[in-house]
Amino acid sequence: MKKMKRIAIANRGEVAVRIIRACEELGLETVLLHSDADIHSRAYRLATKTICIGPAATSLSYLNIEANIGAAIAAGADAVHPGFGFLSENADFAEQCEKNGLTFIGPSSDTIRKLGDKVSFKSLAKTAGLPLIPGYEGQDQSLPELLKQVEMIGLPVIVKAAAGGGGRGMKLITELKTAQVQIESAQREALSAFGSSQVFLEKYLERAKHIEFQIFGDSTGHVVHLFDRECSVQRRHQKIIEEATSPSLTVELRRKMGEVACTIATLGKYQSAGTVEFLLQDNEFYLLEVNTRLQVEHPVTEEVLNVDLVKMQLLTAQGNFVFSPQDIRIPKGHSIECRVYAENPYQLGMPSTGKLGLVSWPEGPRRRFEFGFEAGDVITPHYDPMIAKVIVWDENRSRAIEKMIRTLKDSTVFGVHTNIPYLIEILDHQEFRSGKMTTKFIETYFAEGLKPKHADEQIRAWAHAINKAMKSPNDFSQRSDVVSPWTSHWRGV
Amino acid sequence: MNKTFKLKLDGIEKAVTAEVVDKKIWFKLYDQVFSCDLIELVDAGFKKAKTISKSPDRILAPMPGKVTKVFVSENQTVQKGDALLVMEAMKMEYTLKADISATVEKIFSKVSDQVTLGFLLVQLKEHK
Repeated sequence: MKKMKRIAIANRGEVAVRIIRACEELGLETVLLHSDADIHSRAYRLATKTICIGPAATSLSYLNIEANIGAAIAAGADAVHPGFGFLSENADFAEQCEKNGLTFIGPSSDTIRKLGDKVSFKSLAKTAGLPLIPGYEGQDQSLPELLKQVEMIGLPVIVKAAAGGGGRGMKLITELKTAQVQIESAQREALSAFGSSQVFLEKYLERAKHIEFQIFGDSTGHVVHLFDRECSVQRRHQKIIEEATSPSLTVELRRKMGEVACTIATLGKYQSAGTVEFLLQDNEFYLLEVNTRLQVEHPVTEEVLNVDLVKMQLLTAQGNFVFSPQDIRIPKGHSIECRVYAENPYQLGMPSTGKLGLVSWPEGPRRRFEFGFEAGDVITPHYDPMIAKVIVWDENRSRAIEKMIRTLKDSTVFGVHTNIPYLIEILDHQEFRSGKMTTKFIETYFAEGLKPKHADEQIRAWAHAINKAMKSPNDFSQRSDVVSPWTSHWRGV
Repeated sequence: MNKTFKLKLDGIEKAVTAEVVDKKIWFKLYDQVFSCDLIELVDAGFKKAKTISKSPDRILAPMPGKVTKVFVSENQTVQKGDALLVMEAMKMEYTLKADISATVEKIFSKVSDQVTLGFLLVQLKEHK
C-alpha cells in the first residue's frame, strides 16, 4: 500500500475543483498544473500549491507531457490526476508518469493502449465475440460478395468509400432490390473522388441511443460496472444532457450490456474509473468505444448510487480500494446533468467570452453545481466552452426533469452568454420528456438554434429602465427591502 | 456589484437582478438573463437626455424604441398637431406630433433606427 501525500492535477476548470475537493476530503495536498491564462479560476484559488506549466495555448501547457511531468516532480507530487480531456487518455503520458515514479490516477498505459486505440479495441472485442456495429471491410469487392454481406448485415446498410470521408461515395441501402444500383453508384463515386472503388459496408443506425456503462477496477483488479447513463442528446458528437440510469433499458438489456462492459474491461485489465460506450437501437446494442478515464458526466452515476468516483480513484491508486462481494449497489431515483456552455444560444451557439459578473446557483436538496469560475474570473477563448455542470437528483425521471428546469431558471450567469435557455427548451421537449430521444434529437428539432422570445427593442427598453433604476439608488432602496433578508424574513422567527 | 430590486415593468412590479459588467448591462427578468450594450444606451441618448432640455422645438424620444415612420422632411412647414414620426416600443406605437407651428430644421433619425429615451429626433424652428 502506497501512502500518498500530494496529488498533481493536470487539468483545469470544474474538474480540477472536483479533484481538489476529493483530495482534501482524504487529507491529500494538491498541486494545480495550470497555464498562465488560468490564474483567475476557482481551482487556482483552491489548490494547496500551483505551478504554471506554460502559456495559454494547450499544446504548450495542458497537452505538454514534459512540462506536466517536470512540474509534478518539482512539486514533490506522488501522483497525477489527469481529469478528462487533455492528457487523460494519452498512453504516453501515463507511461511517462509510471517511468518517473508518479502514480497515474487511471488505468495503466497498457490498458489505455489496448482499449483506447480504436483498432486494437475492435480486434479485442471481435476476438472475444462482443457485439460491434455489424459491417464488412473485406478485400473481396465483387458484387455477389457485397450483396451477400448486405443481406448478412441486415438493412438499412450504408455503403462508404474506403478511402473517403465527407459523405462522398456514401450511399444508403434501404431495400434489397436497389442494393446493386447503390453499391455500383458508390463504387463509381469512390473511384472518381478518391481513386479507389473499394467500399465498406456498415449497418446504418438511424435512431440509435447513446448508452454507456460506468466501469471501475479496484486495487485487486476486480472489475464491476456501476450501471448505465444515457447521453443521446448530442450536438456534433458533443454531449449536452446526460442522465442515469437510462430510461431505455429493460432489466434484461441492462444485465447483458453490463456483462459486455465488464468483459471488455476485464480483458483490458482495467483499473480505476472508465466508461464503455454503446449504441442501442431496436433492442440491439453495439460496442462503440471505451473511454479510459473519468467521464464528464460521472456525477449522475454518483447521485443514483451514492458513491464518490474520484475518491474511489484516489483510494485505488493508493492500493486501498477493494469492492467487497457483499456490497450490492442498486441505483435509486433518477439523476440528470446539464452542461453549461459559454455560448449564445440565439446565435447558433456562438462562443461567448469575457469577464464574469454575478454567478449564482440556486442551492437546494439534491441540486449539485460543479463550476470552475466565479464572479470576476474571465472566460477566455483558449479552452472548452463548458463553464459548469448542473446536476439534480429526484425520485423519478419526470420529477428530475422538473427540478432541472426550475434549477436552471433560477441559475444566473452574468458577463457571458450561456446555453441555459437552450437546455430548458430541450428538457421541456416532448420527445425528451418521453425518454425516446435518439442521437438525432438535436439535428431533428434544434438545428436552427433558438429563436429569441423577446424583441430587441423590448430588451433595450427594459435595460434602459433597469439602468436608470440602478443609477438612482433612492428610487428603489425602500422597495428593495422586499428582497432584503434582514427586514422581512427575521420577523416571527 | 450586482443589485436586486423591484421595478415596475410592463405595468407589473417585478424582481430584477442586474449588474454592469464590461460596459454591458446584464439583468435577469422572467427567469431569463438578458444583456444590452451600455454604450448604446448611454451614447445614443442617456447622457444627452440629461443635457438636452425639453422645449417645444426639440422633439425627443419619449421612450426607448424604434422609429417606424417619418412623415416629414427637412425644410417642410408643419402646423401644431401635425404628426412628425411614429415610434414603437414594447409592441406599442407612439405618434410624435408638433406642439407648435414651425419649419422642420433637421431630422436626426430615419426609419428603423433604435433610439433611447430622450434622443433628439427632430429639430424644429418655430414660426414667430
